[in-house]
Amino acid sequence: MRLEVQNLETGYGKAQVLFGLDLVVGEGELVALLGANGAGKTTLLRTISGLIPPWRGKVLWDGEDLRRFSPARRARLGLGHVPEGRQLFPLMTVEENLRLGAAFLAPEREREGFERVFALFPRLYERKRQLAGTLSGGEQQMLAIARALMGFPKILLVDEPSLGLAPRLAEEVLLSLKRVVEEGVGVLLVEQNVALSLEVAARAYVVEHGRIVLQGLAHAVLEDPRVREAYLSL
Amino acid sequence: MELLLQTLLNGILMSGIYALVATGLALSLGVVGIVNFAHGEFLMMGAFLSYLLFAFRGMDPLLSLGLAFLAAFVVGALTYQGLIRPVLRAAELNQMLLTFGLSILLQNLALLLFGADTRVVAPPYQATTLSLGPFFLGVVPFGAFLLSLAILLMLQVFLTRSRFGLAMRAVSQNRLAPGLLGIEADKVYLLAFGLAAALAGVAGVMLSVMLYASPTVGFVFTLKSFAIVALAGLGNLKGVVPAALVLAMAEALVSTYLPGGGGLVEAVFFLVLFLALVGRAWRKA
Repeated sequence: MRLEVQNLETGYGKAQVLFGLDLVVGEGELVALLGANGAGKTTLLRTISGLIPPWRGKVLWDGEDLRRFSPARRARLGLGHVPEGRQLFPLMTVEENLRLGAAFLAPEREREGFERVFALFPRLYERKRQLAGTLSGGEQQMLAIARALMGFPKILLVDEPSLGLAPRLAEEVLLSLKRVVEEGVGVLLVEQNVALSLEVAARAYVVEHGRIVLQGLAHAVLEDPRVREAYLSL
Repeated sequence: MELLLQTLLNGILMSGIYALVATGLALSLGVVGIVNFAHGEFLMMGAFLSYLLFAFRGMDPLLSLGLAFLAAFVVGALTYQGLIRPVLRAAELNQMLLTFGLSILLQNLALLLFGADTRVVAPPYQATTLSLGPFFLGVVPFGAFLLSLAILLMLQVFLTRSRFGLAMRAVSQNRLAPGLLGIEADKVYLLAFGLAAALAGVAGVMLSVMLYASPTVGFVFTLKSFAIVALAGLGNLKGVVPAALVLAMAEALVSTYLPGGGGLVEAVFFLVLFLALVGRAWRKA
């Protein structure tokens, strides 16, 4: 399975945000997408999952153009998306939130999904009868990721999972993504925490003003003087 | 004292139907996000269906219940597909004008087809009463109350256990996430709107025996349901039952204790709506 973005341009109203962006994510690899606020990272993820139509360019799923596919249909194909701000169902329990992640699968897969996410996040098991809105920020983020995993995605888009979390929790969440990748899922991780994401990612892209300005293996990107200066203040 | 208890008992018996109709309205409002002024017209259709089946086929209204549920579900689903869906993204005022127009259209269509007379479905047990010590229970209101309660319980199980029910609650809490989880919101809306209409349709069958079928019987229920939903809090399905109880009790008390109360009953919901809104504004301030 391979997600490919070709020469993507899009925006909101008349304001163009992405100016011809190319990117590839394969199964079983963790790819970081780095960049400052407003660089277009979230817009890219939203376009990939079909929430925003592209102006030009393509989103390809194993070579197939996804243009006519609704967000829900993309999700059923195996494209998971943990959106900005988590977007949980606050008045439903942890268990119910998770069940909704598997709503389109056969019931047997649901049990399999529960085993998988509870192994990954034991804390969610302890809290499964609690309302999602009453969880701590870190637990909510874990739930958002777990809920997307319940649908057995092949490629998972994750938007700013460390936002608003204490450093130790942010690390825990990013390390859990690494374990997801080891299970064979491809993860495209959007992060502002550059140091931490380059530690867990295999490859990285750097976006500025809607264009990819740098790409390569994570350790190479980490060594790049521009990255060190602009994002790590070294 | 006995009069008071009998009055409260009457109020309780009426609250079941109110809760049934208002729950439907709360579903279309909370899940689909549409203010449906034509909700009561689904009830009116259920009442006329029950009347037609009784008058021409001699069918017992108890049997009409299931048919009315299915028929109203189909009508609701078609209404969603044909009328509501195209305006989902339109301005709220446009949506309200559409459902208000639909309400007027359906009322006048019924007037054209059936005339303005009230039609009562009178099965043999219609006037039977049970006496409970000093109190009297009409068999029909009591049966309608129990049925309403049973239907609401089944709805509760559906909303908490089944995937479709979970999806309905999910859509009402977050509009973005269901799509990303592979749930087509459009299908959930269709089901919710059909279900809302079906609840009203069933209530219509009960009312055709307890009250009557007439072209305008539904509209007052739309208004009362709005009062109940406002009292419960928008989107709060569990609050609908107690809110319906409050309205029904208030109406019963007014009709028993106020001189000329019978005429004022239909104004009580205004008072309830007024107090609910003022109370809400006050608590926020």
